[in-house]
Amino acid sequence: MTTNAVSMRNNFSETWLSLRFELLKHLKRRRLLILVALAVLLPLLPLIRTPDTAVGFAGNSLSFMTVLIIVSAAMFAGDAVCGEFEKKTSLLLFPTPQSRSSIFAGKYLAALVCTFLVVTLWYVVLTLETGALYGWGEMPADMWKSFVTALLFSTAAVGVAFLVSSAFKRSISATILVFLILMMIMPVITMIMTLLESEPWFIVTYSANLITTVLGTSSRLPMGPHGDFVQQFTPTLGTGIAVMAAYATVCLAAGMSIAVRKED
Amino acid sequence: MEYAIRTENLAKTYGKTFKALDGVSLQIKKGEVVGYVGPNGAGKTTTIKILTGLIRPTSGRAYVNGVDVAAKPKDALRSIGALIEVPGVYDYLTPHEILTYFGRVYGMRRDVIDRRIKETLEMVRLPEWEHKKTGSFSTGMLRRLTIAKAILHKPDILILDEPVLGLDPKGIMEVREMIRQFRDEGMTVFLSSHLLSEVAEVCDSVVFLDKGKVVSTDSVEGIGRRMDHGVVAVRFLRPLSSQDTERVRSIDLIKSVDVKNGTARLHYDGKPESSVQILKLLVSLNLDVVSYAAEGVGLEEYYVSVMSDEKGVQ
Repeated sequence: MTTNAVSMRNNFSETWLSLRFELLKHLKRRRLLILVALAVLLPLLPLIRTPDTAVGFAGNSLSFMTVLIIVSAAMFAGDAVCGEFEKKTSLLLFPTPQSRSSIFAGKYLAALVCTFLVVTLWYVVLTLETGALYGWGEMPADMWKSFVTALLFSTAAVGVAFLVSSAFKRSISATILVFLILMMIMPVITMIMTLLESEPWFIVTYSANLITTVLGTSSRLPMGPHGDFVQQFTPTLGTGIAVMAAYATVCLAAGMSIAVRKED
Repeated sequence: MEYAIRTENLAKTYGKTFKALDGVSLQIKKGEVVGYVGPNGAGKTTTIKILTGLIRPTSGRAYVNGVDVAAKPKDALRSIGALIEVPGVYDYLTPHEILTYFGRVYGMRRDVIDRRIKETLEMVRLPEWEHKKTGSFSTGMLRRLTIAKAILHKPDILILDEPVLGLDPKGIMEVREMIRQFRDEGMTVFLSSHLLSEVAEVCDSVVFLDKGKVVSTDSVEGIGRRMDHGVVAVRFLRPLSSQDTERVRSIDLIKSVDVKNGTARLHYDGKPESSVQILKLLVSLNLDVVSYAAEGVGLEEYYVSVMSDEKGVQ
């Protein structure tokens, strides 16, 4: 076996080890448990007032999905890098025969796995609810597209959280900033651009609207004292996917680059 | 000769001007226990962080068992067990979970990991805490756990950075005893400390560091000899009479005599052969000598003297 192949195999097994350790940590810290509980309970909320159609029901339920993904990304990846430095566990973890890139790759993947699990659980509950309420034949045909889009947005959101965690020193600052970026700054930019009648195609949270719009639901933005509606843009599938993939790739690459160079 | 630890002109600069390390060259033989001593900010931890791959030097090289740490960190770190500063411990995990992970990192088999966890926790006196969350541990227990992590894979080299920092006297004694045990097992120990008593008790030799530079290197024994300042303390069976004192003063090799609390301090030229001769002459004068010991200055005074020298140079 060539040296490169051996090195690659070693890096893979180190990443796998790091991933398993991170999953154990998420389990022990009960974060995973909390998010799993939310993923099971929140899809039950639309049961309070069920719409006439299955598409409407799924749309209502999935309107919370973006928030759950952001919370999950912040909880699992917000302190992935800076937490090790802040709590000095880096002094235990790093002087060992494993590359930092493998350690951080394991951390990123663990955050991704947990977020995927939470998203998947939500869709499982939603599918069961929709089938039970409206019949299996009424299941929205594009539910799978929504699911794939949600997974893609999860990858982007975890990437953003990982990058922020690499760049910051304190876990709390990093976690708050992730929330601010994905739940405030980006939506505000989206709103301003929408008001200016310019499509915010490059904003990843705007692309995340695909999670509901691919089902055929649409929402318009009520503005002003009389509840007037402004022009509401809808992301196209191709552009949305490209934007989310770009955020995921760029943020992961930048985060990794900062993380492996980070010193106490 | 292959050294356990070797550094060549190690330098680390922060920003444009602050030199944390300024050309540090060390050579530590296998099986040696070496103290790395210096005031706060001297560069001890920086050296250790470079040796353990935590930070990269601005220039120079660090080798562990002949392996360049910067070039092949994984190979270098395989033979090292390290305790650096006061590391954090995952407080929601148990020692078993933490040590199992690190055992896997070192490529140990499952059965070996389980056996070594038991052995190391026994060694650091935490066997009954194996499956309890570390969040409830005291500072001393956490320190002992991090030592267990450092020795889990039976490393050739143990690097300890201020291992007794924050421990109570009992904890200090326990850690010291552990270091002696590692020394007896043939481990190379590189011990950074500002507690000179600790270094004097467990180390074979000492490297003194100040302002990022090595200012002195010597064996603990050698330092004792170098600091022999020509005074021998003698206790007699009976207190010396004024006549006896005059007889002692009449010995040519003795420059002066102070008698206090039944002990006579004899000042001489400091040569070992003179000391032997003086003892023989005292016995020949029929003075009943109970104890006869050359008075040397402690490591503390030596430390102060070398650090002062360095300041003088600058």
